[in-house]
Amino acid sequence: MLRAEIWEITGFTMATAALATLLMVPPGLFLAWLLARGRFHGRLIVDTAISLPLVMPPVATGLVLLAMVAPRGPVGRVLARAGIEVVFTWKAVVLAMAVMGLPLFVRTVRAGIEQVDRRYEAAAATLGAGPLRVFFTVTLPLARPAVLAGAVLGFARALGEFGATIMIAGSIPGATRTLAVAIYSFAETGRDGDAALLVAVSAAIAFVALAAANWISSRQGVQA
Amino acid sequence: MRWGWVVCLAALLLPANAQQPLTVSAAVSLTDALQAIAAAYARAGGGAVRFNFAGSNVLARQLANGAPADLFISADEAQMAIAAGAGAIDTTSRINLLGNRLAVIVRRDSPTGSLIRRLDDLLRPEVKHLAVGDPAAVPAGVYARRWLEAAGVWSRLESKVVPVANVRAALAVVENGSAEAAIVYATDVALSSTAVSAFMVEGPNAPPIVYPAAIVAHSRQAEAARRFLSFLRGPEASSIFSRFGFLPLESAR
Repeated sequence: MLRAEIWEITGFTMATAALATLLMVPPGLFLAWLLARGRFHGRLIVDTAISLPLVMPPVATGLVLLAMVAPRGPVGRVLARAGIEVVFTWKAVVLAMAVMGLPLFVRTVRAGIEQVDRRYEAAAATLGAGPLRVFFTVTLPLARPAVLAGAVLGFARALGEFGATIMIAGSIPGATRTLAVAIYSFAETGRDGDAALLVAVSAAIAFVALAAANWISSRQGVQA
Repeated sequence: MRWGWVVCLAALLLPANAQQPLTVSAAVSLTDALQAIAAAYARAGGGAVRFNFAGSNVLARQLANGAPADLFISADEAQMAIAAGAGAIDTTSRINLLGNRLAVIVRRDSPTGSLIRRLDDLLRPEVKHLAVGDPAAVPAGVYARRWLEAAGVWSRLESKVVPVANVRAALAVVENGSAEAAIVYATDVALSSTAVSAFMVEGPNAPPIVYPAAIVAHSRQAEAARRFLSFLRGPEASSIFSRFGFLPLESAR
């Protein structure tokens, strides 16, 4: 395999996983806060629904996403009218990665927020800070290590995403082929050597990402 | 009570040992026809047959790695040759079982689809995605590429090509509207309610399509596999194959 092809696939995978991680953060922070601090009916249902992609077969999640964003799906139809194509583009790769990584991010951040002493939040509130200000100036800084660890975990999950990606993004060389999808396509078409090379690349990336997550959480332990 | 588990386990294991069903690794395009034939075979007292359907390239690689199966039916010569090259099939049993044709398909209700009547229409800008089995190995994709190359349009269409895992996946992405068109076998489109054939691939550029079949070298039931293979060439199976649009070859007359 050409060295340029390895770099292209690796670079594309890292870039889409990074974008997916950025995409996870805003809804992820809100959901984590909601689950850690919110008291409302249906909390258990929200909690379970968010974790579904973690336990459902990724292909099933991909099928649900496809039904929604395909040009005939309820979301896809609206997007198509705005001239936005998702299926078989890099956007589909990012979407699949974000949906699959979100539960890991939410669970990690939620645990971090639950460990924040509520008395600090209450103190800020008595001094006149609104809930949004309390979250951004007190809760979030105190839960920072968990947010970082959650982002690294979500990123690592995004890097390895396969099942949902192949459903909505396909395996188009130079357009939607991530490391995981390329390994599958190469193994299927008899390019065993190339597949093994990409396995080594993805093992190295995953190792670094997980080591980073462990390092962050061990620092968190020291601080506590 | 304590021995209940042991009895249950034994009950699960015994019938499996008593009679193994025949395992046929077959090209995914044969799914519906072979299931109908297996039902006929069972009615005729031939015994149980189970199938492993996938793209022939996947099957050939499974067999080359020693996957347990008794009969291999590939959608092209190349994948049969790969299995043969790995010593995975009994080459003396190899026959050309079936012929087939390619078709370009679109969604029945798609406005873009109604524009597609011949090969040149695939070059239109409205056709953004053309789904085919991965032309690197999936037989339907290899045939499709061979056709487009012979017609001199491959280089202009290549950027639209969405390579998918097998021919049924190409059918599925047209059905769900993700691709405007796909190249599949004529036999696949006949089974679909949402996709229709825009045109058949015919003429001098159309590649000949042959499905070879052979008994797996490491089969533990080579005799049973031979019986099923000769049933596949018999009049009853041939008429089922024909009903699904296949062209039976070398039938035992």
